[in-house]
Amino acid sequence: MSKNMLEIKDLHVNAGEKEILKGINLKINKGEIHVIMGPNGSGKTTTANAILNNPAYTKINGSIEFDGEDITNLKTDEIARKGIFMSFQSPEEIPGVSVTNFLKYAKNKITGEPVKIFAFKEELKKYMEELNMNPKNMERSLNVGFSGGEKKKNEILQMLVLNPKLAILDETDSGLDVDAIKTVSKGIEMFKNENNAVLIITHNTKILHSLKVDYVHVLVDGKIITTGSQELAEIIEENGYSQYK
Amino acid sequence: MKTKLEEINRNIYDIKNKDEYEFKIKKGLTAEIIEEISKQKNDPDWMRDFRLKALEVYNKLELPTWGPDLSELNMEEIATYVKPKSKLNSSWDDVPEDIKNTFDKLGIPEAEKTSLAGVGAQYDSEVVYHSMREDLIKQGVIYTDMETAVREYPELVKTHFMKCVPVSDHKFVALHGAVWSGGSFVYVPKGVKVDIPLQSYFRLNSPESGQFEHTLIIVDEGASLHFIEGCSAPKYNKVNLHAGCVELYVKDGAYLRYSTIENWSKNMLNLNTKKAIVGKNAKMDWVSGSFGSKISMLYPMSILNGENAKTEFTGISFAGKGQNLDNGFKVVHNAQNTSSVVNAKSISKNGGKCTYRSLVRINENAKNSKSSVSCESLMLDDISISDTIPTNDIRTDDVEFSHEAKIGKISDKTIFYLMSRGLSEEDAKAMIVRGFAHPIAKELPVEYAVEMNNLINLELEGAIG
Amino acid sequence: MEKLQLLNETPIRTSKNFNINNIKIENFEFPETIKKFSNINIIGDLSQITQEVSLIDLKYGLNEYLTNQVKTRANQKLKVVVDNKTNKETKIEFNFDRENLELVDNIEIEANENSKATIIIKYLTCENIKAFHNGIIRVNAKQNSNIKIIVVNLMNNMSNNFLAIQNTVSKDAKLNYTIIDFGGKYSITNYHSNLDGENADNRLNTIYLGKETQCFDLNYIAELRGEKSNINIEVQGALNDNAKKHFKGTIDFKKGCKKAKGNENESCMLLSNTAKSISLPMLLCSEEEVEGNHSSSAGKIEEKELFYIMSRGFEFKEALKLMVKAKFNKILENIKNEELKTEILQEIDTKLN
Repeated sequence: MSKNMLEIKDLHVNAGEKEILKGINLKINKGEIHVIMGPNGSGKTTTANAILNNPAYTKINGSIEFDGEDITNLKTDEIARKGIFMSFQSPEEIPGVSVTNFLKYAKNKITGEPVKIFAFKEELKKYMEELNMNPKNMERSLNVGFSGGEKKKNEILQMLVLNPKLAILDETDSGLDVDAIKTVSKGIEMFKNENNAVLIITHNTKILHSLKVDYVHVLVDGKIITTGSQELAEIIEENGYSQYK
Repeated sequence: MKTKLEEINRNIYDIKNKDEYEFKIKKGLTAEIIEEISKQKNDPDWMRDFRLKALEVYNKLELPTWGPDLSELNMEEIATYVKPKSKLNSSWDDVPEDIKNTFDKLGIPEAEKTSLAGVGAQYDSEVVYHSMREDLIKQGVIYTDMETAVREYPELVKTHFMKCVPVSDHKFVALHGAVWSGGSFVYVPKGVKVDIPLQSYFRLNSPESGQFEHTLIIVDEGASLHFIEGCSAPKYNKVNLHAGCVELYVKDGAYLRYSTIENWSKNMLNLNTKKAIVGKNAKMDWVSGSFGSKISMLYPMSILNGENAKTEFTGISFAGKGQNLDNGFKVVHNAQNTSSVVNAKSISKNGGKCTYRSLVRINENAKNSKSSVSCESLMLDDISISDTIPTNDIRTDDVEFSHEAKIGKISDKTIFYLMSRGLSEEDAKAMIVRGFAHPIAKELPVEYAVEMNNLINLELEGAIG
Repeated sequence: MEKLQLLNETPIRTSKNFNINNIKIENFEFPETIKKFSNINIIGDLSQITQEVSLIDLKYGLNEYLTNQVKTRANQKLKVVVDNKTNKETKIEFNFDRENLELVDNIEIEANENSKATIIIKYLTCENIKAFHNGIIRVNAKQNSNIKIIVVNLMNNMSNNFLAIQNTVSKDAKLNYTIIDFGGKYSITNYHSNLDGENADNRLNTIYLGKETQCFDLNYIAELRGEKSNINIEVQGALNDNAKKHFKGTIDFKKGCKKAKGNENESCMLLSNTAKSISLPMLLCSEEEVEGNHSSSAGKIEEKELFYIMSRGFEFKEALKLMVKAKFNKILENIKNEELKTEILQEIDTKLN
């Protein structure tokens, strides 16, 4: 079986009338951790949303393949069921739907198999402990009244439970304190194995310190202008993006 | 992202039995017809006179000059009294087969076994079944049909019947006073706490007829009760009318919770009146789910007459194609330190119309009272309508009053979020709607919460596929 | 003498028993003959003001009698045509005195495309007289215009104030309306805005302050028709003595107003236990993709705050004035004319004495 998991070719994406992505090319293999860095407004979040085919964005050109299959125009839920997960920058609040019920339902949709409630709750509890989450949050409405940090941890929890092939983490580290960033990194480490992949989108490098990153891509004005190894992230941490403008 | 929601088969609710009856009064409304109903029902004289006076009031009052258009209602076409082919029974085995089957399918006898302290079941104009747990009878709790109450507890009935809701309130209350039939009477003696609910279920089977049941509940000082009311009818082409009346007396220190799951067929005009008088340190809670009916005008009311009296209203309306649900809540604060909390939600889809109409009145003498109202309306498409018409009448300064309302649709962002977790668009919407309704569902006993979720799923089902 | 009954009907009726569908004025004597009114003072560019007003066609208005009075017997007609591309201020002052007791005014403001202006319209009773005002103000804010209107009612409490406002707001136009509603035994206002165009934007800020037996009836109606149109209604008021207020605010999302927004916030400070506040904040919605919010609150002055201020040496009345002014401040900030602002602040002090 091919190692190749995700392949984006010459992707152009508009938000409304405005062209945001101007020809993105990206290849992610099994077992790899990729990072996309870039200044605000460079198109990082658009890239993540385009992979999940958010209807708020329009694809003008290019293609996205996943496991050798063209997913460019699949619906978001179909893409999710193929095994792509996205952690949201600002997760939505769903009043009246508890974290447990939501995840149980989503797990069933993703795996197509019935979920055994007791085993599932145990699994959930275990992950929550690892992520320093209050187990009481299990019965609270999804993201409603959660602090910024709780919401982000909840995204990581969902990633662990749904166990996708590719996890895209959109600014999961932003707005978090040092301890919370450590927890998020720990979650990624727990998730990561040789058969899956992670795409981290960020504009700071703190989260990368404790992770072994394979590739760092720099996205400026809708294009990936350079790709390097983990050292590239350190250079950017030092000098910022000004050299690429 | 647009979803087509089709009208769906309401399956069990729509099963029609043959229009068989022992007696069906001729259509229309005259003194002769009222006299005939009174005779059929063996009314005592005072009740017959009461009916005739109510008819006079009915003839004098105008139709409301506000709210849904009621012009299709023609009283000449409605039979106000349909006596089923059954007497009142205390064992389901004695209830005629087809009637029993209907209640079986609605799950009533089953619920009685597992989760209710007593059950009453009305079919068309008469109660066909009534029963209550032995231990409650021993504690002096009375739960019976209204006719039996008129005969056996005349003093309690005379002093309370249509005193809380006087016939002059509005035209349909006057109508009710003239033709009322069936319904339940509950008396909970001082200090008695009824731990699990009593339920009355109202089924209207006969076409072009009306149901006018009267529910009178007295929860005496320090006592407590949870009463559940369910209603349904199969759909016919011509209109049916429901003009029931619910009178609740919550005496000092007492507690009453009154839950309703209303699922009348979509040819029903539901013009029901419900009112509670709440005493000192007493609490009255309303939980209301409104799913059926073609037109509904329903505004339960709490009158907080005693110091520290409290009331809470939690309600949801779900209007689909051809439905105009004009629902809400009224509260009058008449004493110090009283409080009211309102949490109202509505969902409109497929051209349905939901209106939240309400009154909060805090009178001069209601010092240190509090009222907080929250309304939320969800529009599921662009052909439906959702209106919020709340009146807030504050007549003194020492109050805390706040009202909040929101109207909107399900956000595309939220749908995208759920779809990114593998839910289809329809599943995502259904999940959001169920979540929206959850605060009401959680106020209901489990079986009814399940029933309500089923109704919501049923309403949304057309979306799938 | 005309004695009329019902005024200011809401666009949708609710239960009659709630006493809010309209206001009933009994035994009120409307002046039969309207004498001339000449104490008017206009500060600003006079070249754009004429008396050539167009025919009045109101969708709502206060009632037929009052609308007709303006149509047929107006003793002041003013048409303001705005062409300026930079914001200039025009101030129109009507001063009631013993010679000028009755004003029936018909004011029309036509803001041409891309124009900007601030127009202040002030009604003031100068002497201890019983004055009568019945007026109609119409604003047509054409494409991309940016218009600020400030209506100030500083009449005394013996007088009566009747005012009907109608606006059309076109594509990309901004209309910022401020109403300072202080005077009048009765002060009855009908405000109707038709947000016709895409991105049409209307802000309405009102403060009212009632004492003695004053009665305010505010019937505000905003109809959203244009895509992404926006209405924002903010009403702050305080009632003392036996004053009464009826607030009826309707935000009506009409079919086609996709992505429109409507917000309405109404808050009433009750300064006496005999003051009365009724509100009916309506949201009507026939379009899916909209956001509508309203909130309404009533109650007495925050006692902790009052205590805090008094602990700093303020007397009760001074503290009260301070708190009321603080509450009104957000709206008063809209008024850039310092002289006018000072006049309003002084009136607040006087009314709370």
